Amino acid sequence: MTLAQTGAPAPMAPSTLGHYLLVSALLLVIGLIGFVTRRNLIIMFLCTELMFQAAGLAAVAFGRYHLNLTGQTLVIFILTVAAAEAAMALALVVLLFRRKESLNAEEWQDLKG
Amino acid sequence: MGELIHPFIVYGFCVLGGAALCLALPRGGRSPQVLGALAGALIAGLALLALAVKFAPVLPNVYFYIFSLIGVGAALRVITHPRPVYAALYFILTVISTGGLFVLLSAEFMAFALIIVYAGAILITYLFVIMLATQAPQEDQTEVLASYDTRAREPVAASVVGFLLLAVLTTLFFRGVDRLPMPPSRVDDQALLADMPRKVENSLRSAGLLREGEAIREIDTGAGVVRVAAGGAVRDIPRSDWPEGMGVSNVEALGFNLLREHPGSIEIAGVILLMAMLGAVVLSRKQVEMDEEAKRRQAQKLGQTTGGISDVTGPIGGES
Repeated sequence: MTLAQTGAPAPMAPSTLGHYLLVSALLLVIGLIGFVTRRNLIIMFLCTELMFQAAGLAAVAFGRYHLNLTGQTLVIFILTVAAAEAAMALALVVLLFRRKESLNAEEWQDLKG
Repeated sequence: MGELIHPFIVYGFCVLGGAALCLALPRGGRSPQVLGALAGALIAGLALLALAVKFAPVLPNVYFYIFSLIGVGAALRVITHPRPVYAALYFILTVISTGGLFVLLSAEFMAFALIIVYAGAILITYLFVIMLATQAPQEDQTEVLASYDTRAREPVAASVVGFLLLAVLTTLFFRGVDRLPMPPSRVDDQALLADMPRKVENSLRSAGLLREGEAIREIDTGAGVVRVAAGGAVRDIPRSDWPEGMGVSNVEALGFNLLREHPGSIEIAGVILLMAMLGAVVLSRKQVEMDEEAKRRQAQKLGQTTGGISDVTGPIGGES
């Protein structure tokens, strides 16, 4: 039961992969429910970040199962997209807040077509 | 061997989890939030325990349970906490425990990159925006929770749909993982050493295996020898003599994988970041006209605090 790995990791049992996928699915669903239920714009974007975490965890777990590094490489790009999304979304949120003086997503209901 | 776990047990846990999350979502006033959050964490723990009972011989590491319980519990608090700052801090806890899970999956570099980038950079930006975009409390108020923070929108419907999705996902996962192709029994982790002659030379030299005047001629990882030459004499250093630290680390392997197999993706990532930067600059430069209603609201608020000066609407509208 050591945390640090030296050398190539040993193969992982499929049921262990199932455990990691369960945690990943839980994070994804919690993020999804949060995105739908919360009305604060900032929290809604935090919930998308939660879903990014879930996707990254699943990618790394699958990469570990197949003993290749593509999953970890994918997480690098997930981080890139998350950073870009955070920059854009937060700029938008500040803009929207300055306009209505409120972070309530329902203030923008009249946008729906 | 069939499913990992009987689907009805999975559905039962999903129903219970959905009910707990319904309780945990904020509803304004006094609601059994803490109870719901506790029940949710308990049910997640029970689900893991059910998996554990079924697979007693091939369990994941005990740290897996610690990290995943902390991560899921903190994620629950992210979506149930009425104060945005606390939600962001709980999200940092989720990020850190995901980093722990990454370490367990022997993705050390990604674990620390995740913590540095998420907890260090992105979440600080979030905290900044939360601080910027909340109304300052009035003097006579101590509680400044906005109503849209204390009341969730459609908690029951969202929980039902979300946990339906969870039931489908987990059923598919638990059915599918047994049918995955078996992983390769061993991979040659030394194969990349042939591309790192400087590292090999340094570690051999510091281990005293490479004598003065000798240079590496060839690194043959297939045969497991490093061929060194001094003048005309050639000798082999077999794999059994290689020093301990000469293996390929996670960072090195990841770097080779990134630059060799996905060079185009790096360009695309660069373009995405550039576009995000441009977009953020353009968005934040824009002059914002305040809404009529917001103007009126702010004028009212200022009128209250400054003692009834009513003609402050003009300059406020202009200054933003």
